[in-house]
Amino acid sequence: MSETFRNRLLLVIALLLAAIYLFPLYWMYITALKTGSEMFATPPSFWPDDPQWSIFPFVFQLKGMGRFLWNSVVIASGSVALIAVLGTGAAYVLARYRNAWVDVGLFLVLMLQVLPASLMITPIFVLFTLTGILDFPRTAVILAIAAKSMPFFIVLVRATFMSVPMELEEAALVDGNSRIGAFWSIVLPLARNGILVSAILIFMQAFGEFVYSKSLIQEIELQPSSVGLNAFMGPNTNEWNRIMAFASIYVTPILATFVLLQRRIVSGLTSGALK
Amino acid sequence: MRRLYSSLVDGRGFDLCLIGIPLAFLIVLSGVPLIYNVVMSFQAVDMFSLGSFIRPWVGFENYRQLIAQPEFWPIMGHTATFLAASIAGQFLLGFALALFFWTNFPGASWLRGLFLVSWVMPGLVVGAVWNWLLSGDFGVFNFVLRELHIISDNVFWRSDPAFALWSVIIANIWLGASFNMILLSVGLSSIPDDLYEAAELDGAGALTRFWTITLPMMRSTIGALISLGLIFTLQQFDLFAAITAGGPNNSSNVAQYWAWDLSFKQYDFANGAAISVIMIVVVMLASVYYVRSTRHEVRG
Repeated sequence: MSETFRNRLLLVIALLLAAIYLFPLYWMYITALKTGSEMFATPPSFWPDDPQWSIFPFVFQLKGMGRFLWNSVVIASGSVALIAVLGTGAAYVLARYRNAWVDVGLFLVLMLQVLPASLMITPIFVLFTLTGILDFPRTAVILAIAAKSMPFFIVLVRATFMSVPMELEEAALVDGNSRIGAFWSIVLPLARNGILVSAILIFMQAFGEFVYSKSLIQEIELQPSSVGLNAFMGPNTNEWNRIMAFASIYVTPILATFVLLQRRIVSGLTSGALK
Repeated sequence: MRRLYSSLVDGRGFDLCLIGIPLAFLIVLSGVPLIYNVVMSFQAVDMFSLGSFIRPWVGFENYRQLIAQPEFWPIMGHTATFLAASIAGQFLLGFALALFFWTNFPGASWLRGLFLVSWVMPGLVVGAVWNWLLSGDFGVFNFVLRELHIISDNVFWRSDPAFALWSVIIANIWLGASFNMILLSVGLSSIPDDLYEAAELDGAGALTRFWTITLPMMRSTIGALISLGLIFTLQQFDLFAAITAGGPNNSSNVAQYWAWDLSFKQYDFANGAAISVIMIVVVMLASVYYVRSTRHEVRG
């Protein structure tokens, strides 16, 4: 068996595995394009006879998805901004020093990372009610997401800072830079890619966040797409083509971003999560 | 004043400021709720006392009530099943895929990364798609199983109490297997090649090499991954909300969904806090193990 034949064979098997694994995604898009009767056909059709492209603008209008998506973007951007500004500094300090205090800080950060949102929401809801933050529901969700996701961001970005050679920063200090100057003009630019990738990953997570939004936001005008999709799926629904159209519109921007930046996201993730 | 300013720009104050503000933020928004949760689990909380700090102290009454509920032990059992089956499924599927992609052919790393879309998608969307795939009469999952002659009649995954929990487990395995695969691939690629070359010279077969080199070398990765799997699986909420909502009749309810359901559907915040405290203790124990197994790092 020659080398090229072996490679081709493995590639074909890999493509087949990927096709099977990603079939649920394919089925989402295909179902959205089917007519009401074709959707319930037995045996199911694996290619739509008469693709209903108009379903996307129709569902977008019907469900007011513009507002849902806008709220998702507001919540995700707010969380990422807060996390990036606060988390980058913490990650830098935790990467630069190695002593008992840093170990304690790191341990604390890692422990806070693991608290499940659905368990933390009870005290957060009560505390936000008591302090009146709940009157600004989207801000409340942003704060809750920031507290939940910041540890993960710190862990990822810390790994990036660890790979920035400390000698460069020391050289800048010798050249007369202040600490803040060296951080701003030497360390940050070198870690820029890692920070950006981690921020994108956090944005994707916050864009799909559900528990906090569902529990803290009562007004439908302020709810993000995840809550909208949940409300759309009643217990005995048969509008699956419309639900899948909603899901497709919601998830396509995330999928596109991921496929474009796949290499960077995967390497950023693997350097931080396990080492 | 001048000294304070120069310390902030060029000394210890700079570091303290960078680490202090985020830590204060995390303590206020994660630490305080965590402690307040414990306090609340010892208080009588209802809709009327929700808005006041001072509430009657009831000791362990909430916990006693919680455990006395007829659904407590079944739900704990479901949680254990959900954890064990999800982690085992994600890990085994992820390991199989990682081993396959390890053979390293052109395009392997790009294709491998593509699998991760299942993990970056919003949980609600994953739940919606699997809800439709697992539909009883018209679901394509049943169709495929029928064509493969694994089942003869349709399985009503979401509405049959015997299968409802498994419908969420299947979706969760799909969601998490890719993440397991990516991390296991990293572990596999860090095993030095000459170990395998030496074993091959000694005449060890593929299976022997797997048992005596691959598995032992992967021990720390596997340990970290399993505890990470436990942490992630206990965080899984969206799939329950999107597929079964804990039903029918609590047959697919698990602790983390029950905690939310008690607080936000039945407005029983005291019992919701009590079950949260119990589960948070479990998560904390798992994470101590995870943190310990990721400590062996070298400054790069």
